[in-house]
Amino acid sequence: MVKALVACRAGVGSSLMLKIKLNEVISEHDLPVQVEHSSLDGLPSFDGPIVVSLSDVADELKEQGIKKEVVGIKNILDKDEIYTKLSAALKNIGEE
Amino acid sequence: MIEKIVQEDLIKLNIKANDWKDAVRKSAQPLVDDNYITENYVSEIINSVNEYGPYFVIAPHVALAHAPSESGAEKLAMGISTLEPAIKFNNADNDPVSYVFTLSAPDSDSHLKAMQELVGLLSGSEFYKVLDEAQSSGEILQFIKDSVLNNKVS
Repeated sequence: MVKALVACRAGVGSSLMLKIKLNEVISEHDLPVQVEHSSLDGLPSFDGPIVVSLSDVADELKEQGIKKEVVGIKNILDKDEIYTKLSAALKNIGEE
Repeated sequence: MIEKIVQEDLIKLNIKANDWKDAVRKSAQPLVDDNYITENYVSEIINSVNEYGPYFVIAPHVALAHAPSESGAEKLAMGISTLEPAIKFNNADNDPVSYVFTLSAPDSDSHLKAMQELVGLLSGSEFYKVLDEAQSSGEILQFIKDSVLNNKVS
């Protein structure tokens, strides 16, 4: 199992909704991913390889040079977008 | 669950706002009036957008206005507003925003079920039609209750 952290600024709203949708995609496609969620404060202690966030937060994390595979989602209701980007991230870390 | 945290007087239809800040304030006002959130919570939502960008425009035309619990989320609740006309939140992918959901979550997990139901509602097309066409807050609340009771969303 690959660990993915869904993070947003507050950790109670968008990240929770994104986690719900991400889990739908993971179970539909049987992806080897285990999802956690938190605010951005949880990032330093997260030991998995993938971080998923709304795209503007993701862009900022990339700019900061975070050493994780960062997935930015524009529309958290769009399962195709989530699947495409999550699959690409898995491929990038050599899991698929 | 969601039908219990959305009260009829927290639903406001066809709000006219000058800009996104005004839209956030007007959407949040009913929650302030009923002591679900503090004034500080509303300022915090607006400050974080100023600082970090429009991070809570989560899908096309949909904003989930919220801030960290400790900013002043007193009691679990959600407000729903429709904006007429739609307002730009400076989120290139999902502008303009027509629907603002103002979330007050005092902790990180008591609203999980409600959020699941909200995701379910927002994933179909019927909910948007109801939001667009409803003549009263009661109609929207009734639709939410019916959807949850009939397990259309879970």
